[in-house]
Amino acid sequence: MAKRYELDDDSVVVVIGSGAGGGTVSNELAQKGIDVVCLEAGNRLTLADVVNDSAVMDQKMGWHDMRLGAPLWICKTVGGTTMRWSGVTPRFRDFEFRSRSTYGALGSTTLIDWPLTLEEIAPYYDKAESKMGVSGTHDMPPSFETSNYKVLKAGGQRVGYREITSARTAINSVARDGRPACQQIGFCWDGCAVGAKWSTLYTEIPKAEETGHFELRIGAMAVKIEHDEKGKVRSVVYADATGALHEQKARAVCVAGNVVETTRLLHNSKSNLFPDGLGNTSGHLGRNYMRHVMNLTLAIMPGEVNFHRGTRQSGIILDEQRQDPARGFAGGYVIETIADQPYSIAAIIGGWGEEAADFMENYANIAGCWITGEDPPQADNRITFHATERDAYGLPVPVVAYSDHPNSAAMRKHAAQRCSALYESLGARRTKNVADIGGGCHNMGVARMSERPADGVTNRFGRVHDIPNLFVSDGSLFSSSAAPNPTLTIVALAIRQVEHIADSMNRREL
Amino acid sequence: MNQNNLARRRLLVAIVAFSGTAAIGLEPRLSLLSRAWAESPAQPDAGVRAAMLRMARLLYPHDALPDSVYAGILDRALSDVAAGADFRKQLDQAAAALDARAGRPWQDLDLAAQIAAMRGIETEAFFVAIENAVRAGIYNDPAFWKHVGYPGPSKGFGGYLHHGAGEIDWLPENL
Repeated sequence: MAKRYELDDDSVVVVIGSGAGGGTVSNELAQKGIDVVCLEAGNRLTLADVVNDSAVMDQKMGWHDMRLGAPLWICKTVGGTTMRWSGVTPRFRDFEFRSRSTYGALGSTTLIDWPLTLEEIAPYYDKAESKMGVSGTHDMPPSFETSNYKVLKAGGQRVGYREITSARTAINSVARDGRPACQQIGFCWDGCAVGAKWSTLYTEIPKAEETGHFELRIGAMAVKIEHDEKGKVRSVVYADATGALHEQKARAVCVAGNVVETTRLLHNSKSNLFPDGLGNTSGHLGRNYMRHVMNLTLAIMPGEVNFHRGTRQSGIILDEQRQDPARGFAGGYVIETIADQPYSIAAIIGGWGEEAADFMENYANIAGCWITGEDPPQADNRITFHATERDAYGLPVPVVAYSDHPNSAAMRKHAAQRCSALYESLGARRTKNVADIGGGCHNMGVARMSERPADGVTNRFGRVHDIPNLFVSDGSLFSSSAAPNPTLTIVALAIRQVEHIADSMNRREL
Repeated sequence: MNQNNLARRRLLVAIVAFSGTAAIGLEPRLSLLSRAWAESPAQPDAGVRAAMLRMARLLYPHDALPDSVYAGILDRALSDVAAGADFRKQLDQAAAALDARAGRPWQDLDLAAQIAAMRGIETEAFFVAIENAVRAGIYNDPAFWKHVGYPGPSKGFGGYLHHGAGEIDWLPENL
């Protein structure tokens, strides 16, 4: 049963955000009998609210507060960005946790190794995959093979790839965990209408509520974390939907607001003791913002593909997820199918005239894939705050600075050649590669984990280095971006973090 | 608490202002419907309108689509309560710029020259605005979807699992 906690109840863990990180941390804590208040800035949708129309869904759940600089595609809603994702969940590989040792300094980057190894996180990958129902793992069969995937697979085989799979997607391939199998509705990036794709909205959150150790407060925008004179955090100030401020006491706080809001909250919580913001003793808070190298390839094939029939990302190729300097860049990338509605395709390919129209005339014949690739951290890719502009909450407006590293340009060029060759091997009439598809959906790194406190914001469990009861629980933790989509790793780290929190509580350290 | 009070006051003021803006932005589709009986804004003159109808087709030429599709896009953009007046201005600017490039009525040029004149102004803000409006209008139009074989959202008929997902007949056997 959903519970209510008093504002002055200082036994609760306050979790900020209800997405992949916050939703998972909330439920994992509640399952262990630890009381949780989760503050979610957005509203609570139901499956009946989900329609196959990105523009409508964006009005229902997009994050529209004023921001300057590079755009991000994230959500203000219960479930956070697990309501806007493709479900692709490959694991990081061993070398990706040793990025600095493997790649070298890469010129102007701020690369570090992760303070943990694949071996340490592997058991938590297992738990995350089981929780999310990742296809092709545990008891879940691989996903249905869509025609777009069949094209990717055939072309991939022709150009010599071997690790091609329709597995590794957190969409039910069979009915499981009270949720149905995927119906191949298509264009489901902005929400699965039947709940086949994992989202904390209808998994972690209701499960947490059933424990009787969890309260979700919607429309609750955290604006400041307060601490005591010793530097331990003691409460979270938040605005409710009417704008009234409340202060919830806390035993510990887990911040999972996605990179911009996580940075902003820690930054705005600055005090005499922490004049540059909580967790910013090293100066790394808000820096090393990473969002993956992307390249989109669309091809007009000799026959119909009808890529609208089925999930957007229905299969992947993992052969390029490796370190091989002979390719001319460091790190790897994952190739994934992609599909979009006519307007999105027209907007992505851009241009006008006979050529653009001809491409669109062949909509039924389009096959598509994109890559997500390792994006090296750079100090000046960062979140800062405008000196005078204030948003609807009266808070300083975030400014997102992001620019490519030369390594990314080299990787993108390689990927464009490989993916074009893949489709051309099957007789593609035209291929188009688009580098910038306009925005960060994989957001990582602004409160990164580091072995040495001077190199980052959080330790190997995601605890802020110099604050014993303050944790970061979202993609902000990533020490480096690796190649794969981040959600599986966010969930694995969240499960691991909760074990650490529970152990610390048992030892009376928290 | 002083800081909290200040923050609260700012927040309340801002939320009121914000809700006003949000309400306009929130209902793009509803406002499309209501435009049918909205007061008719000043229309461009007939010459400008004819030229812009021609330009709209040359932006995204699809022979299968009737003129009414292109005309409808211009009409909807013109009748937008917030942006219609600006759009009219942009149409006027585009028509004038094309005539200036042509040195005579742009519509009198042959096809290749018409397109060349458009290329000559394609980076102008007014051109980009019209291009964006026409692109969104065409490719969000179910008439175009039908033409290229996309039936629209599939939730209503239960998805493609039993409606053609995975069907492909031309892939080579020999890989």
